[in-house]
Amino acid sequence: MIRYKDIHKAFDIPVLQGVDLTVKTGEMFALFGPSGAGKSVLLKTTLSLIVPDYGDVEIAGVSVYDGPPGSLEAIRKKIGYVFQNAALFDSLTVFGNVEMGLPEEELIKMSRAEVARRVWDALEIVNLDPREILRKIPAELSGGMKKRVGIARAIVGRPEILLWDEPTTGLDPINTAAVERLIKRLSRELEVTSLLVTHEVEMGLTICDRVAMLHSGTLRFCGTPQEFRDSPDRVVRAFVDRAAAFAALDMAAT
Amino acid sequence: MRMLPRIDGRDPTPPKNRCSLRVVALPLTSAVAGWFAKLGRAYRITLDHAGALGMLTWASIVAIVRLKVSGREVLTQMHVMGVQSLPIVFVTASLAGIVTSQQGGYQLVSSSPRYVLGTLVVQSIVLELGPLLTAIVLVGRIGARITAELGTMVVSEQIDAFKSLGRDPIAVLAAPRIIAGIITMPLLVAFADVIGVWAGMLMAGVSADLGQETFLYGARLFWHSWDLFYGLSKAVVFGFVIPLISVHMGLRTKGGAEGVGLQTTQAVMFMILTILIVDAMFPPLLLQ
Repeated sequence: MIRYKDIHKAFDIPVLQGVDLTVKTGEMFALFGPSGAGKSVLLKTTLSLIVPDYGDVEIAGVSVYDGPPGSLEAIRKKIGYVFQNAALFDSLTVFGNVEMGLPEEELIKMSRAEVARRVWDALEIVNLDPREILRKIPAELSGGMKKRVGIARAIVGRPEILLWDEPTTGLDPINTAAVERLIKRLSRELEVTSLLVTHEVEMGLTICDRVAMLHSGTLRFCGTPQEFRDSPDRVVRAFVDRAAAFAALDMAAT
Repeated sequence: MRMLPRIDGRDPTPPKNRCSLRVVALPLTSAVAGWFAKLGRAYRITLDHAGALGMLTWASIVAIVRLKVSGREVLTQMHVMGVQSLPIVFVTASLAGIVTSQQGGYQLVSSSPRYVLGTLVVQSIVLELGPLLTAIVLVGRIGARITAELGTMVVSEQIDAFKSLGRDPIAVLAAPRIIAGIITMPLLVAFADVIGVWAGMLMAGVSADLGQETFLYGARLFWHSWDLFYGLSKAVVFGFVIPLISVHMGLRTKGGAEGVGLQTTQAVMFMILTILIVDAMFPPLLLQ
């Protein structure tokens, strides 16, 4: 379970202003919101990649910011993070990148053959052909392939929680649909808790158990996809209508 | 342009036409306030950098003591900093030796014994020019590169990816560069010393008609082993300062490509200034 407790964060202006949110174990949860609403900032506070000014995050009852020594490292090993732009290491090959997803303690104990098998399996799970791309560097991959290698790196360590930071941003509709199917399949097959930050409202409503919406740094809505669609809240309605209009435009352009 | 009367009935005439005394007094007050604000900001920024550099040093020491630093990565960085810098250090040291020898010959030969030129070249190269010029070359070649590399990793979220995978960026990225700098810099400075003295000796023969034996006699006459220790001590400190500041500045990069460029420029200025300050602190500390 992930529990955000009264999270406040300001850079030059307030970004998050007292966000309380709970994602249950095994749940697939989507977080919506307009650009600049603080979705990615909230996601990054989960791993202390951004430290909140006030508030705390608990992972399975253990505090990220007030836990015993070493707890943050232990928490990070339980979580797989899929970055918006994949964030692959430029200087490493695909193999090196995915290998980095294995915890250091496991790497020391594992034979090279075992490491290679785990990397190979992770790439196959995300529908990539290891024979083709294992020795390539990130600069030689397409946007969709980079995203999938990023996903492989996040899942190779067999995490209990997957955090997805706008995994379909910048992809064409075909790749978006492929990544969408992948997210759904992985979350079910790996039996992980998933928190998905996305602009793709329809995708979130289709594949997630519950959704929430951030607006101006506060939680505006939290409930099931059906409740979200039927919400009388004017901000939620405006967001849904705008997202639908953009999706229609996108479809027409395609 | 004619100003229309305002709805609230206030006089729309600009204040400067109504009260000239206030206009004179205000800029003076605000200038003083602005000057104090700048001073305060500079003080805060200095303390901020000093604190962050201290934390980075401590984190690197902890990573080294806990044996979290990869030996292979240290060797890679030593190759990049040391072996790949040899050509530019060779050129810089040669030119430093040649220029020192020529200018020394021009100024001294008519008024002093000619062997003094050997003393002058060796002392200048070993005490000052060898360490300082090598450090400045490394600032441009290595320091700027490290800042730009790490800055790019920050803006493309690669550093966040390191952390999210439970890896320590200090152990993987900072500590190997600092260790490599501390080991490589004295070796490069020793190389620069040899090349600089050799080039100076050759030029002394050409420009001042000074034989190698006379040059070396002058060099030995005022030679102290302490001088070599002094020059290499500087090199160790510079070898620590360059990667430390460049890593620190790289990890604090914000924004995109523009941020990387800005941070790299600032890092180069910061490193050169620090090197010159450290260099100025050495004589009162070790040459008493």
